[in-house]
Amino acid sequence: MTSIIVHNLQKVFQTKRKAAGLSGSMRSLFKPEYSTVEAVRKISFQMETGELLGFIGPNGAGKSTTIKMLTGILHPSGGEASVLGFVPWKDRQKLAFQIGTVFGQRPQLWYHLPAMDTFTLFGKIYELDDSETKKRIDFLAEAFEIRDLLDVPVRKLSLGQRMRCEVAASLLHRPKLLLLDEPSIGLDVVAKQHIRDAIRRMNQEEGVGVLLTSHDAGDLEALCKRVIIVNHGQIVYEDKVSNLKRKFLTTKLVEVRYAKQVAKDFSVKGAKILKVGRYGVKLQFDSAQTPVDSVITRLSEMGDIMDITISDPPLEEVIAKIYEQVREGKQELT
Amino acid sequence: MKKFSKYWSIFEITLLNSLAYPGELVGRSLMIIPFMWIFYQLWKVAFSAAGVDAINGLTLQDTLWYLMMTETIELGRPPIARTMSENVKDGSVAYILNKPYDFLWYQFSSAMGETIFRAIMNAIFGGLTVWLLVGAPAHPQGFLVAIPAVLGAWVLHFCINAMIGLSAFVVEDVAAFTWIYQKLAFIFGGMLIPLDFYPQWMQTLAKAMPFSSALYGPARLFVSPTMDLFIGVMSLQMFWIITLVFVLVVAYRRGLTQLTVNGG
Repeated sequence: MTSIIVHNLQKVFQTKRKAAGLSGSMRSLFKPEYSTVEAVRKISFQMETGELLGFIGPNGAGKSTTIKMLTGILHPSGGEASVLGFVPWKDRQKLAFQIGTVFGQRPQLWYHLPAMDTFTLFGKIYELDDSETKKRIDFLAEAFEIRDLLDVPVRKLSLGQRMRCEVAASLLHRPKLLLLDEPSIGLDVVAKQHIRDAIRRMNQEEGVGVLLTSHDAGDLEALCKRVIIVNHGQIVYEDKVSNLKRKFLTTKLVEVRYAKQVAKDFSVKGAKILKVGRYGVKLQFDSAQTPVDSVITRLSEMGDIMDITISDPPLEEVIAKIYEQVREGKQELT
Repeated sequence: MKKFSKYWSIFEITLLNSLAYPGELVGRSLMIIPFMWIFYQLWKVAFSAAGVDAINGLTLQDTLWYLMMTETIELGRPPIARTMSENVKDGSVAYILNKPYDFLWYQFSSAMGETIFRAIMNAIFGGLTVWLLVGAPAHPQGFLVAIPAVLGAWVLHFCINAMIGLSAFVVEDVAAFTWIYQKLAFIFGGMLIPLDFYPQWMQTLAKAMPFSSALYGPARLFVSPTMDLFIGVMSLQMFWIITLVFVLVVAYRRGLTQLTVNGG
């Protein structure tokens, strides 16, 4: 089953241009100049029901514009889209019953009131029975660990606590699809982990599909199975997150701890030594150039290994690498 | 029923939200006291200079109660156009538009939630001040008769302001339009001077405009609660409400296709 089908979706904005200073303002008043910004350039993709799909890209890539078209807030300049069988901009209200949205930078909870008031209001807005709303709030309060926060005015909550309440509120009406636009923006590591755990749980228990836009590669690694990377309004990469890691995560980081002191002239052919300590060594190599087993063999020849860790570089670096390749014109990435 | 109850809930939560800082709300409503005192001084001098007890049927007492009503309507109504414009500018309109309700009904319910308590506070402080200055209203039953017209006035205000607010979908900043509207309402709505004191040609012109149905009509009905006036005020108000709601809905549908949501 497919929940989102997007075909050649396009959004073009007309932006007013104005030169600096008073003369620029006067000129703009009598002879306004507009420039055309193509925020989304004929993108096409599909999302399966219950899928966890990452939609990532740098600022101004067109992620949020795409999400806003998929929720029906923005009318596209061209192309087609179907979300849960609805054309979003034609059936916005009907679609709204089936989807949940969180825009990380735009709170939906009433700021001066306890979150419970917004939850109750949403129960009415989504036309749930009072008893059903109550049961659902109980469930979400437990799933998101927000029971003690519901009666506190939202303005007094920390950002992490507020975001947990925001995401929980967007799930009140049991949506089939959750559109999360930067849900972890500004959160600390613990708060991010809380949100990710809760989202994963809702996906597993209720089969909610999640389309996630984020700047944070950690969100992608922790939550998504598949990723679409956009840049300048175009899809530049679309694949499984595991493939993304395999293709672009060839650089390996190794940390070794020996039983005895390490020789000062420690070296491994094909690897770059980053740090040599008294008992430990940190090095980096490209597995595409140097086979992993040759590095491990060489490391064990150097002494008795007490501990060894081999890790991938952070996904941010991978994405930066992809952007770099796209910028250089190597678009044969997918 | 569920459809209606969602708008009632929006009204309720906005009302609750407006009560989050009661001190600020009461403090702001106290502004009507100096306004009424200034009006009293001004019109007392005007009536005594003219050497008459009534001008075109309105006594000093009527004039003050009339102005109390126009001020209550005007000071009670929330800045809908500015709020809508800010929603568009900061992108929060995205949240308002992505829920299963009608955007205009949402805005209206929310505006009424903000209006009610503010208007009640203004009526209490304004009424007490005028009572102390010129005595009780000549026709206390006018208060009840005027209630439907006051509600209609807020609907009209909403329609006009929502139209100005909707222009934010295209131009984003609507401060200039709200300024013009406010001044037109001051002059042609009879907010500071009852329209009865205008020259005949100007009265005819002003009474034909929607601004008079939003201020002059209900306030005049309050001081002269006759059946003829009630029918006249309510009919004209209904005409303007139907016309402006139609224009508003058309403008909204058109505006939606022009919307640019900021942020992200």
